[in-house]
Amino acid sequence: MPLPDRPIFGCEWNRNRLDCVLLGMKLNMPLVTLLAGLALGVGVLIVSMLGPSSAASASGYGATSTASATGAVKPAPASSASGGGASAAAPATTPASTPATTPASTPATTSTTAPATAPGTVPAATASVPTADIPPKADYVARTNSGGGAVAISVHAGKAVAYMCNGHAVAAWLKGTAKAGKLELTGKNGARLDVSYRTGKATGSIMADGTKYSFSAPLVHRGSSGHRPPGLYEATATVHGVKIKAGWVVLPGGGQVGSVEYFADSDVAPTAQAPVLNLTTGTAQYDGVTLVASLISGLTGSGF
Amino acid sequence: MTAQPDASPPAPVDVSLGIGKLVVPSLIGGLVALTLGIYGRLHHPTGVVENLAGFTSAGYAKSWLATIATVFAIVQVSSALVMYGKIPRVTAPSWIGSLHKWSGRIAFLLAVPVAVDCLYGLGFQTYSTRVLLHSVFGCLFFGAFSVKMLILPKRGLPGWTLPVAGAAVFTLLVAIWFTSAFWFFSTFGLHR
Repeated sequence: MPLPDRPIFGCEWNRNRLDCVLLGMKLNMPLVTLLAGLALGVGVLIVSMLGPSSAASASGYGATSTASATGAVKPAPASSASGGGASAAAPATTPASTPATTPASTPATTSTTAPATAPGTVPAATASVPTADIPPKADYVARTNSGGGAVAISVHAGKAVAYMCNGHAVAAWLKGTAKAGKLELTGKNGARLDVSYRTGKATGSIMADGTKYSFSAPLVHRGSSGHRPPGLYEATATVHGVKIKAGWVVLPGGGQVGSVEYFADSDVAPTAQAPVLNLTTGTAQYDGVTLVASLISGLTGSGF
Repeated sequence: MTAQPDASPPAPVDVSLGIGKLVVPSLIGGLVALTLGIYGRLHHPTGVVENLAGFTSAGYAKSWLATIATVFAIVQVSSALVMYGKIPRVTAPSWIGSLHKWSGRIAFLLAVPVAVDCLYGLGFQTYSTRVLLHSVFGCLFFGAFSVKMLILPKRGLPGWTLPVAGAAVFTLLVAIWFTSAFWFFSTFGLHR
């Protein structure tokens, strides 16, 4: 078989068009495009598997497994077959019947009404409160002044955790330090909490998903025995391979506002309404999976 | 869709034969879409996606790549309209074919890494209408694109096949963009 005198592979321009030749045969360019896309896709996949974030992926995986283990996830055969589409809608509708989440029906107006009430006049008034009054271990919860949301702040020995959600598309977890009468907490996607606090009250504003919510949150006292006390609850689980993280702010009157985030470890964490948290059992049903909520309490240090 | 036996001599091409040439490309396209969907459903998503230098997060990197791909797709469809003489008072310049091909190639090659990131990091999901539609459209897009690439070199196909395939690919890409990048920018803000 004679060797071709033309190149084995080559491309050249012919009057504004690219022609590629392999072993003397003119190539089918659309097929070349498809194969180039396939090669690129496989390349990106390999980079994703081996690249610098593979460690992060692996740890995310680990976190997911432990979360599902501690979350006592109970698999439900029906949900895995039917997928999330129809069954995910079921828990979303139930909370509407409880008085706790009635404000969640107003999030559509959140973005328009919240900024108007946001100005930080209240924090300014309390900024000069002496630091000696600050309890080193405390929990604060309240509804936000607008937007149908609720906020919970837990302070424990210089560390602080906060959560804000509106029982719908807004949820933000924040972390930071508690010192000198000020809490400055930050979270993903520009979430930020600025608060001045003193014995009995934390007052300030929280920025979540681009909207500022103001609040004035009283100190939480322990609830009556037999029921879960007011405060901040979280639960994580893996549903259909997706790590979800639910958060509930349980208010002193027994009301609650909760949101659930999907892909909780990623920066893309779409958020929706959380199922109702049963305050007797401390669990919630989500898409056939039992979520076991744990209390994050500055008072007892649990969850810190 | 049947061939007309008493057709006049200037139409020698058997239309049913032309349609028959669509079978194999369509089957391959369906297989591509199914493979992507099944992989996205079976593979455990990592939830972690690759970021690109210069962007705030992987979500922004993907949203911008998808947006640029969509812009090239608009160039694709516009150049096709010019080539088919559908734009009044515009005659196709000599370079329109190259513009059409290269805008398409660039759009496709920009979409590929975004899709791989989606499938690997997030998977085929159904937890909301937007996400379900995005997952379905994403798989269908690569199936439809494969069909279009496979029928492009074929001769004797009915004249409507390429425009229909191209329109399907373009519509799917725009739907994908609306259910992802548009949602992302409107939720998290428009910046890098």
